[in-house]
Amino acid sequence: MWIYEKRLQYPVKITKNCPKTAQLIISQYGGPDGELSASMRYLSQRYSMPLKEVGGLLTDIGTEELAHMEIICAMVYQLTNNLSIEQVKEAGFDAYYVDHTTALWPQAASALPFTAIEFQSKGDAITDLTENLAAEQKARTVYDNLLRMIPDPEIQEPLKFLRSREVVHFQRFGEALEKTKDKLDSKNFYYFNPEFDKKMFQGKL
Amino acid sequence: MSENSLAIVNIPIQKWGELYSEEEALNIGTIFHDLNMPFFAAEGVMGDKNPIASGAGSTAKTKEQTEREALMTKITQSGFFLDDLTLYLDTHCKDTLAIRLYHEKAKEYEELRKQFAQKFYPLTRLCITNCNQGNENNFCWQEGPMPWEGACV
Repeated sequence: MWIYEKRLQYPVKITKNCPKTAQLIISQYGGPDGELSASMRYLSQRYSMPLKEVGGLLTDIGTEELAHMEIICAMVYQLTNNLSIEQVKEAGFDAYYVDHTTALWPQAASALPFTAIEFQSKGDAITDLTENLAAEQKARTVYDNLLRMIPDPEIQEPLKFLRSREVVHFQRFGEALEKTKDKLDSKNFYYFNPEFDKKMFQGKL
Repeated sequence: MSENSLAIVNIPIQKWGELYSEEEALNIGTIFHDLNMPFFAAEGVMGDKNPIASGAGSTAKTKEQTEREALMTKITQSGFFLDDLTLYLDTHCKDTLAIRLYHEKAKEYEELRKQFAQKFYPLTRLCITNCNQGNENNFCWQEGPMPWEGACV
């Protein structure tokens, strides 16, 4: 169950349309390292996590990623909500416009559609938490790349906020991995899969 | 905590430390001094005053809108403080200082959301009963701008 709260986690108020920038930022909506991908990754992995508190962390971070998706969508929307057909043509927004007008659709900056192929839910706690560490770093790199290109403070502020969250989430997934390791044999963390070989894992608890 | 081991990721567990104020934390993106790791290309906007959240540069606003934005800013700051503290508690569930702070901040946040519903519009369905002086003939869930419109930051 989820409850909607009618506000953004971080405020977005962009006063100028810029379809070119929208086309770059949309990558964090539907791109390979985007917020939708992040949310679906964590919310998929949580069910079979052997440690209850790790499932809890995945739920909370997966939920926060949905709020980040809403921030990105609000930015894309405010960058494109009053476009003239001239602006559409000049800014190279025409291909997107033909398919979606100025509606939101999850795709990468390269126009690759959103796909679950971009993330994993592997069913091994160590593997999945290591994937999550990499995912947070990949998203941070995307925000770095965007921040380098976009000087407008109205756009930089929320991007900077979202980038900081990637660093915090990385730390939390690291701590979740340490908690999982604590329940395993430090001589060989790979003797069995704690998520599948449940009897062997429960012997360790 | 495991000692550093070969052939697996090793990450130190964060220790409780100095915190930012609610206003600073939202602008920086974390409540923890130890996790603030800014990027050089965004340093120009690293000030502790957020031009958006503080409503600077906006003119010709009605008194009601100014008040609404001020309260919304407080809610955003308070809500974010709780978001970040919750993730810390997810991996530090026995940290008594953090737990005590959570209870204190959660009460403030509830009170702010209640005030917002009483004065303006409900932010969640649970806030609906706080609207319109509890008038049970009025359904106010559709009141107020949608969050992506940028009208009430």
